[in-house]
Amino acid sequence: MRIVLQAVMVVVLAAVWPALAQQQYPVKPVRLIVPFAPGGPNDILGRLVGQKLTEQWGQPVIIENRGGAGGTIGLEAAVRSPKDGYTLAMGGTSNLTVAPSLYEKLTYDPLKDVTPIINVAAVPYALAVNPTVPAKTARELIPIASRKTGYLSYGSSGMGSMSSLAAELFKSMSKTQIVHVPYKGTAPALTDVVSGQIDLMFADLALIKPFAERGRLRAIGVTGLKRSVAMKELPTVAESGLPGYDIEPWFGVITTEGAPRAVVTRVNAAIAAALKSPDVLQRLAALGYEPLGGTPEQFAATIKSDISKYATVVKAAGIKAEL
Amino acid sequence: MIETFNSLMMGFSVAFQPQVLMYAFFGCIIGTLVGMMPGLGPLAGISLLLPATFGLNPIIAIVLLSGVYYGAMYGGSTTSILMRIPGEAASVMTCVDGYAMTQQGRAGPALAIAAIGSFVAGTLGVIGLMLLAPTLADFALRFGPPEYTALLLMGLFVLAYMSGGSMLKTLAMAVFGLLLGMIGIDVMSGYTRFSFGITELGDGVGIVPVAVGLFGISEILMTAGQADPPKVQQPSLRQLIPTAGDLRHSAAPILRGSLLGFMIGIIPGSAHIISSFVSYGMERRLSKNPERFGHGAIEGVAGPESANNAAATGAFVPMLALGIPTGPVTAVMLAAIMVHGILPGPMLIQQQPDLFWGFVASMYVGNVVLLVLNLPMVGLFVNLLRIPYAYLYPCILAFCIVGCYSVSNNTMDVWIMLAMGVVGYVLRKFGFDLAPVALGLVLGPMLELSLRQALAMSGGEYSIFLHRPIAVTMLVIAAVMLLFAIKPLIFKGKDWRSKVGLDEPADS
Repeated sequence: MRIVLQAVMVVVLAAVWPALAQQQYPVKPVRLIVPFAPGGPNDILGRLVGQKLTEQWGQPVIIENRGGAGGTIGLEAAVRSPKDGYTLAMGGTSNLTVAPSLYEKLTYDPLKDVTPIINVAAVPYALAVNPTVPAKTARELIPIASRKTGYLSYGSSGMGSMSSLAAELFKSMSKTQIVHVPYKGTAPALTDVVSGQIDLMFADLALIKPFAERGRLRAIGVTGLKRSVAMKELPTVAESGLPGYDIEPWFGVITTEGAPRAVVTRVNAAIAAALKSPDVLQRLAALGYEPLGGTPEQFAATIKSDISKYATVVKAAGIKAEL
Repeated sequence: MIETFNSLMMGFSVAFQPQVLMYAFFGCIIGTLVGMMPGLGPLAGISLLLPATFGLNPIIAIVLLSGVYYGAMYGGSTTSILMRIPGEAASVMTCVDGYAMTQQGRAGPALAIAAIGSFVAGTLGVIGLMLLAPTLADFALRFGPPEYTALLLMGLFVLAYMSGGSMLKTLAMAVFGLLLGMIGIDVMSGYTRFSFGITELGDGVGIVPVAVGLFGISEILMTAGQADPPKVQQPSLRQLIPTAGDLRHSAAPILRGSLLGFMIGIIPGSAHIISSFVSYGMERRLSKNPERFGHGAIEGVAGPESANNAAATGAFVPMLALGIPTGPVTAVMLAAIMVHGILPGPMLIQQQPDLFWGFVASMYVGNVVLLVLNLPMVGLFVNLLRIPYAYLYPCILAFCIVGCYSVSNNTMDVWIMLAMGVVGYVLRKFGFDLAPVALGLVLGPMLELSLRQALAMSGGEYSIFLHRPIAVTMLVIAAVMLLFAIKPLIFKGKDWRSKVGLDEPADS
């Protein structure tokens, strides 16, 4: 008798389980892949979001760092996961919009294999020069850079990285020839700008700010179209001499293509709510990150327009990489 | 001076708060355990633990992480000495003579000397950090790509003194290491080289899987290939304690290693890895009987272990004085405080005095904790060797695989490690020495990048190396080292190598 009862229960449960799962997402722990090593902006944002989701859902959101190959390894792992919405990933400008033009053999298509959920935050970039470079604005920098090829050099965190693309866009828009000296990561490159080994660099505003305040670097402008709340007195590169210049890296949460619509809506709502909570806003402000939010459709539109934008930049810079 | 003293006292008042002290202690224990895990070194240790510190206050976070960092270095030397498994690139040299000592039943003294050397180096390093940080940090900033290239060239010429086997075999192994270092995305152009379409190879071949494979896995295979199982050791208490002779032989290498390590450590970048290789080469060159190296010379443990720890402390100089993360480890540390909204920068010491001095004081505390923790445990660790190999080695193999995988959740690392184990086995059967492979793999990518950066800066002019005093000085030293190394090849004279026995398998 008991066996029969148990069997009946199993059958009933199996029948209603999918429906239950749909209603109560998440019924089990959710995986949030951070496609970079711990410690960077992507990781910090991922953990902030993960912590808030855990609090809201009462289900653990597990952060998994899968670094490598400019964030494409982790993103690929995410899009190859089951299409149930239990695997999320913190994507970004680099692996969602730059990678398609950079890598010929990219193993995923950000437009086809990805369901965008919500754009989380923008991480403002700024242009900084070593104080020995006699330029205070982009307008003053351009003639110095055009004196001759290689008169100035810029550092980046590697060919194809956001910092190199920001500089390449600057070069092609201002028609200057600044020599590229790539480094392995932002920190060593910034160190060499501070010490004057190289002249300038585009990097996270949050990293530049303390050095600018102490006079070891001179901030020239932020790279987005809006000034940053973290350094209100700093003009944009566009307004200080290079109209139309716009680079604004962001990080947002995505899942696999074909994930249930209800799940996408639920995750979007949960993160949108988190982005309004005072402690999250305070943490973001301390780092100079700007909360974005919005609907999945808006995020999808951003990804689409940025892909074509960076295709132009990558082409103008003549960068071609393979994977 | 008085001011420094007062600040330090303030630092100790922070470090001796029961909660901070407790976390420093925890950090050291966790670090030691992590370090003992094959394949997991200091960097992997603190990266894995970083997320756990996000909920703590910044001082505790950084104290905990630095405890883990130091602890992992101690722990790494333990597995290197007992099982020939390096937890990180810096303990590769410790494997050579440390493990040879273990095979002679002298694991106790090797472990004790490693702990004492690390303690002395760590303490001297903190003193240097405290007194000289601001001065040295500005000096460190004068190291750009050209200086770096010159420094790494010096490191490359250390090869001549690294191995006792034939020069040809040493160079062949170094070239093998350099070639392995070619794999991956070229930072300058963005092109991927020799990856055969495998995305995971894009970031290159990590030193840890290669070192664990070449040294650790190959040792397991060698043992399995023997007709009779090796005898299980029964270390007695008397054998655990270093003799007066051991201490006498180690004193000078420890001091030299500390100084060398600290100087290399303050240079921004990952050059600190080469400190243990350079120290080993230097000790061998200075030794009156270099033929003992590779066969259980205690100097070969004392020097590199001290250099390694002093370099670790030296690396904090630019980080704390200027807020610049100079290597992967310091970058993770700075991330730990950035998460709390403290932006690192040149104002860090002034703006966060209790953070800086609390950190300095906790490094003193951490060094003492580790010595107290590790010296008595030497006996315990050595007893691991009592486990019959039939049980010990399968466990080690499993730990190697788990450790290697967990560094970046990447199965490719495990395959690399296993493949390198087979390669290492074959090479050792043919009497090749493996340490040069590790040095080549460490140096290759760094040397290539800095050389090309320097040339990009100068527009292709090699004269950039002659316009910079530091670079010129180091290139001259490197040239002298090279001349000394090739002298016997030209004059066929007697040199230290002839005493070693040229074609004897260096490592069996």
